[in-house]
Amino acid sequence: MNGYGGQILRVNLSNGQISKEPTPPEVAREFVGGRGFGLYFLLKEVPPKADPLGPENKLIISSGPFSGLMIPGAGKCDWTTKAPLTGGYASASMGGHFTAEMKYAGLDSIILEGISPKPVYLFIDDNKIELRDASQLWGKGSMIVEKTLKDQYGEEFQVAAIGPAGENCVSFAHINHDYGRQAGRGGVGAVMGAKKVKAIVVRGTKSIPVADPDAYRKAGMELFKACKEAEMLKEWTSYGTTIVVSWCDEVGALPTRNFSAGSFEDGKNLYGPVMRQKIVITDKGCFGCPSPCGKYSRVQRYNTYVEGPEYETIGMIGSNLGLNSIEDVAHANYLCDEWGIDTISAGGVIAWAMECYEKGIFTKADTDGLELKFGNAEAVFKLIEKIAKKEGLGALLADGVKRAAQKVGKGSEKWAIHVKGMEQSAYATHNATAMLLAYMTCDVGAHHNRAWAITYDLQVGRERVAPEKVARVIWLQHFRPMFDVLGGCRLQWVELGIDRNLYLPALEAITGIHRTWEDLELVGERLWNLARLYWMREIDGFDRNWDLPAPRFYEEPPSSGATQGQITRFEDVQKLLDMYYEQRGWSPQGHPTPQTLERLGLQSFVN
Amino acid sequence: MSATIRPFGMLREYLQGEKEAEVAAGQTVRQALASLGIPPEVVALVLVNDQPQEKDYFLQEGDVVKILAVIGGG
Repeated sequence: MNGYGGQILRVNLSNGQISKEPTPPEVAREFVGGRGFGLYFLLKEVPPKADPLGPENKLIISSGPFSGLMIPGAGKCDWTTKAPLTGGYASASMGGHFTAEMKYAGLDSIILEGISPKPVYLFIDDNKIELRDASQLWGKGSMIVEKTLKDQYGEEFQVAAIGPAGENCVSFAHINHDYGRQAGRGGVGAVMGAKKVKAIVVRGTKSIPVADPDAYRKAGMELFKACKEAEMLKEWTSYGTTIVVSWCDEVGALPTRNFSAGSFEDGKNLYGPVMRQKIVITDKGCFGCPSPCGKYSRVQRYNTYVEGPEYETIGMIGSNLGLNSIEDVAHANYLCDEWGIDTISAGGVIAWAMECYEKGIFTKADTDGLELKFGNAEAVFKLIEKIAKKEGLGALLADGVKRAAQKVGKGSEKWAIHVKGMEQSAYATHNATAMLLAYMTCDVGAHHNRAWAITYDLQVGRERVAPEKVARVIWLQHFRPMFDVLGGCRLQWVELGIDRNLYLPALEAITGIHRTWEDLELVGERLWNLARLYWMREIDGFDRNWDLPAPRFYEEPPSSGATQGQITRFEDVQKLLDMYYEQRGWSPQGHPTPQTLERLGLQSFVN
Repeated sequence: MSATIRPFGMLREYLQGEKEAEVAAGQTVRQALASLGIPPEVVALVLVNDQPQEKDYFLQEGDVVKILAVIGGG
């Protein structure tokens, strides 16, 4: 099948059975790949109300039609599962080189099922596929494990591994690959750990069939040419995602001390150019990327190396925890990577704990003697390890901020900054209504990558509550995640501003199927509604209350910074949601209506 | 005394499509942007002679200032 590896690999960890089946062409046509395949298998094969850490849950890793081919940024794969963090839909996108290698091994999806009786790693070398003993690797950091396996098998093998946090099923444990790319959010690493899979090792040497090789080469070259000629190529490549730190600080979007403000008085220490000058040693890119945005850094003070920190980590572990040294942020980033936890959720839950400490709800007796004040980097370093090991206070925090706050009570739910149980990522939304709506309605919880709408807020008026803003968020939610479906990176479009129409001839030449962006956005809309149905199926009483933002964003105007005194009114929060449901064709409770399901051809997915 | 502002991408819309504009030196970048009708809020990165600078930087004779919008981020 043109554009695809052609096979689904199924690994039953309970009985050790490994099997392959051909990728169904109608699934490829309808769900395209990547995140689409993930959602298809999740809905079809994981029974309702499955325990995310139990044997019925599955971890589905999928490449897409672009993966491994000569397309800029063709290095992404999707990891889909039922989320330990939220109990709902989890889909995490991972860069690097893994997706290309699995595609060369002929695999469109890898489905991990059941639970292994002993720690194992999955070894794939073209058609030689085995579960191998991981007892020597269990307990070790994710990056040292990657190095060990690459030393053993060869550099051309790609490795994705969990750290101790995944082994311990920390609810926001992640999966590491290529020494610093991750499948980050929702606890995908915990699912892998629950299944006792320490790593996946893959090498492939097969070809990928494409429908029209000459047209594909030509279209690929056009895409690379557009990237090379992009005006912002040099600046984007120099700073990567850190390019927005100063801007976010300036406009009040940089989360500061548990989202109590949007500007950080020491923010200048964390800006992109400062980071580049102080710690960055090289740019680092994923497969086939002409605009390597990864920044590989050396933190001399602690003698550690890290890929990063990215904007999100600078926001969530830097300003959000009151840390004012980029070296400290980078070292904390390294600790999160090696221990195996998502930096975004880690920053969110640690910030909550710091606020609890500052308000006297936690004393040193609760924090194992740690002075858990904002700005205390040493406490952050120690807490990251405790979370990974579920030790002391770490055991409470490992459940995520929503559960931790529910357990502790004493009003601390008010400063648990999350939606649907996922800690909000690094854009403070006291007064940015499109971005606030994006966080409220994102299909995995409060994550920014579906609809990054904050510049739109600044362009058209941040406090405006208007149908156009809602329409913009909805369009972004259909369009941006399509890159996750195609198995490629959206940042060439997002950051370099290349013409998205250049992707269409490439996709057609590869798959042999003509698709317009309207066609692809319809796929996006179908996936969006399917994800919504999944939440409704898994969580009793799932309704609009699950789309509400943290109260901080409608109750507590910042006392400093660019958004001092500004706040969104709760009636506007409700208005945004009403407009959103109306435009989506959902009921006032946030459920897709029968008419909408019929229009999208999704009736068969409803019981 | 003058300096040159070069907006990239969508910021050119503020100059009706022109690729550059002359501004007086001796003022801050922020003031220069305001004089051109460019809201400082939509400018993510300021490069003066290819060096990143803040918007409070005082423009000098002959400075060439590239300004980049926040296109997408994250």
